[in-house]
Amino acid sequence: MTMTMDVRPAALAPADVAARAQARFPEAVTVDAHGALVVDRAALIDVATALRDDFGLAYLNNLTCVDRPDRFDVVYHACSMAGGAPVAIKVAADKANPVVPSAVSVWAGANFQEREVYDMFGVRFAGHPNLRRILMWDGFAGYPLRKDWKEAYFEGAQKPFNSRWPDGAFFFGEEKLTEWKSNAKYPRGYTATGVEKARPDNTVMVLDAEDLKHAPDIGSERLIVNMGPQHPSTHGVFQMQLVLDGETVVDLQPVMGYMHRNHEKIGERNLWLANMPYTDRLDYIAQIGNEWGYALTVEKMMGIEVPDRAEHIRIILAELNRIQSHFWGVTFLLNDIGAFFTPMMYAIEEREIILDLLEMTTGSRLMCNYMRFGGVAYDLPEAFLPLANTLVYDRLPRAIDEMDSFLTGSEIVDTRMRGVGVLPAEQAIGYSASGPVLRGSGVPYDVRKAEPYGIYDRFDWDVVSYPEGDIYARYMVRLGEMRESLKIVQQALKQLPGGPIMGGKKAWQIRVPEGEAYGRVENPRGELGYYCVSDGKANPYRYHVRSPCFINLTALGEMTKGHKVADTVAILGSIDIVLGEVDR
Amino acid sequence: MTSAIELVETVVKCAVVIGALLTGFAYATWFERKVIARMQLRVGPNQAGPAGLLLPAADGIKLFFKENILPAAVEKGVYFLAPVMSMTVAIMAFAIIPLADAVRVPWGDGWLRFQIADYNVALLYFLGVTSFAVYGIVLAGWASNNKYALIGGLRSSAQMISYELAMGLSLVGVAMIVGSLSLSEIVAWQKAHGWLVVLQPLGFVIYCVTAVAETNRAPFDMPEAEQELIAGYHIEYTGMRFALFFMAEYIAMITVCAVAATLFLGGYALPFGIEVPWYLDLAVLLAKIAAGMFVFVWIRATIPRLRYDQLMDFGWKVLLPLAILNLVLTALGIYAYENGLLG
Repeated sequence: MTMTMDVRPAALAPADVAARAQARFPEAVTVDAHGALVVDRAALIDVATALRDDFGLAYLNNLTCVDRPDRFDVVYHACSMAGGAPVAIKVAADKANPVVPSAVSVWAGANFQEREVYDMFGVRFAGHPNLRRILMWDGFAGYPLRKDWKEAYFEGAQKPFNSRWPDGAFFFGEEKLTEWKSNAKYPRGYTATGVEKARPDNTVMVLDAEDLKHAPDIGSERLIVNMGPQHPSTHGVFQMQLVLDGETVVDLQPVMGYMHRNHEKIGERNLWLANMPYTDRLDYIAQIGNEWGYALTVEKMMGIEVPDRAEHIRIILAELNRIQSHFWGVTFLLNDIGAFFTPMMYAIEEREIILDLLEMTTGSRLMCNYMRFGGVAYDLPEAFLPLANTLVYDRLPRAIDEMDSFLTGSEIVDTRMRGVGVLPAEQAIGYSASGPVLRGSGVPYDVRKAEPYGIYDRFDWDVVSYPEGDIYARYMVRLGEMRESLKIVQQALKQLPGGPIMGGKKAWQIRVPEGEAYGRVENPRGELGYYCVSDGKANPYRYHVRSPCFINLTALGEMTKGHKVADTVAILGSIDIVLGEVDR
Repeated sequence: MTSAIELVETVVKCAVVIGALLTGFAYATWFERKVIARMQLRVGPNQAGPAGLLLPAADGIKLFFKENILPAAVEKGVYFLAPVMSMTVAIMAFAIIPLADAVRVPWGDGWLRFQIADYNVALLYFLGVTSFAVYGIVLAGWASNNKYALIGGLRSSAQMISYELAMGLSLVGVAMIVGSLSLSEIVAWQKAHGWLVVLQPLGFVIYCVTAVAETNRAPFDMPEAEQELIAGYHIEYTGMRFALFFMAEYIAMITVCAVAATLFLGGYALPFGIEVPWYLDLAVLLAKIAAGMFVFVWIRATIPRLRYDQLMDFGWKVLLPLAILNLVLTALGIYAYENGLLG
């Protein structure tokens, strides 16, 4: 089922929201120079609840933090499901004792993002249900995104800690072998077996032997299975801690960060333009979208216009990219429910040809480094148009129909996917799910329609949405989106104008004026957002990536509870994560 | 004197059949890789020898020389016993398959039968021995001290119990029609009256489905479901110990194909009473086994896995009632035929 989304503007424009919120909470809310609501810490929950219930900001796009010289700014972006730009909300926290009330009770999607802010900045969120490190390991000392954090051997002391253990008694053999020696320290009171005990604040998943005993009359026990990080179906180094009762999942905790390389810290050290190739490494199945999101954000801050031809090229490549990404996502989901690579092989056949197009245009199949602020790096080569036309008019529609006819009607696919991993619409919005996960729950929300960027508003296409909210709906959304993307590419290829491919002033060194911006694009896996803050220097003051894969995982535990072990894998597959983006 | 000759004869037969089974296993893996590759737009093995035909040998050498890792916390005795048990049971089941028509020879009782044991309750023997196969898996799962292996072993035992019943019942129809449990007599009956698949279509279908489940093959490969359990019960096995499980699985496939051919598809005999020399009998049986193996591989390449609870539902709620229905229909048919109600 395809639905055409209302393109009516948001019930309230961000400026209206700001004005009304200020009128309603005159003591607690002010508006800063960038149009963001600055909310008093103590009133945050009241203001947030009012914003959600009375001003329609039901969806929390993004939550992050900026380390200012005198304070921490926790920044929230929330938007209305009716469309329009998100409203920025800022809460200041003390440098000495940074505590902010947790917004999880208002927007459940704040859960992982608050943990990330705690992990990276040390800002604590009072009332958070499980405030633990999420990307760094439990024993890590320090908060790497703070401006005063010094990286060992690079900025800081050669040996930041004498020993991993506070009293210096215990060491790991491998520490002798690495050049880093003991570049990590466990906090006092931390024991290697500590995770097996419930902490006083009940923040750890309870792995206590007593709690695992269950149904004492038949003497059965619950089983903890750590799926991953080395596991064929976790799509990378991702771990799921499962508590099983027989084959049924009682509890699931996602554990991530095995591939964490602090993308944001590196981004803050890089020059503005040098981040462009680095965004390719986020969701490496959807390179072009990543670059587009970053380019869009910085263009907003610099106020550059992108020439028409460049906009067309961007849209053509991004939509082709979406098609190949969905080929990958759909057929890997089939793999996850137990198909032996056959659908995948057929999909990869098509994907390779799309990658050929990317290669002839950008010079690389995966790490494209193609967008620039104000346009694209190279014009389309001559061979592009004939091949692209054959693909979008002939080969790809057939391949999609073939997949549809072989997979969609299959009895086993049906029984494995229908009614499994159901995420109702309200929960999907609450958990800040995005992309096919949100649209598979019957919410026809697509950034390309809700806040059109590029030239999406010029083309005729529909938002695909299915109301069931199960794996099957997500699968059908992806199939439908491939067809809609083909429609967009066909129209864009037809209208492709001539002209320059770069706008703005030519400059060796890009200067981004002081300011901040949140830019977002609809990537194949959901809403990819970039929040950048510039202080007018050569590199970003703050560079934050709103990763759709990471935030979609917030709902994983809820979706999985009560299902079987085999469904866990299928549900994870239907979220379609890429670990490069989850862990950043 | 006679008994000594018979003993030598049996030993030679056993050696030949075991040798053939091991080679058959090796080439079954090659066949599977090649067929799946063609179904997936790939080429498949093509480096070791012509068309990759030496690949099984290379695999064998590799497995022989791999380190046999013994995990620290396993239950040693059972851990060693489990693969041996799986393999032994898989080979044993083949003993009852008649491979070709008997030929005249100048020793013994004058007949050389191409069958290790012409057992008069061969069908029961087959069911009994294949049931034993699950012990290897359950013990491996339990002894490995690994959660995935344990879940795999548990699934396997539940799956075997549910599918064993339907499988047994699907074979009863054959025994009722032929009036014998001996496989050579069943083949002889089919030579005279035509293939049993015509009289027992439902039984044949049920047997095929349960056979896939019994051999733990896709889409019923729950105990080793790669996507959830990684490798299931043999996750902690390496080298030749792992290879034994692998062999057991493929040999079990060969055996169930051979049993399907023997019980339902006329065994080594060609249809319509065409008589051929014994070596062509052998070729006919091999062709039927190969066709069965192809179906196994075809299913694996094309069908996703069922979920464990769906599998159990299917076994108890669909296959078992169908098998009982088949039994009742067969009995009614025989009654009608014997009383001349069919005209």
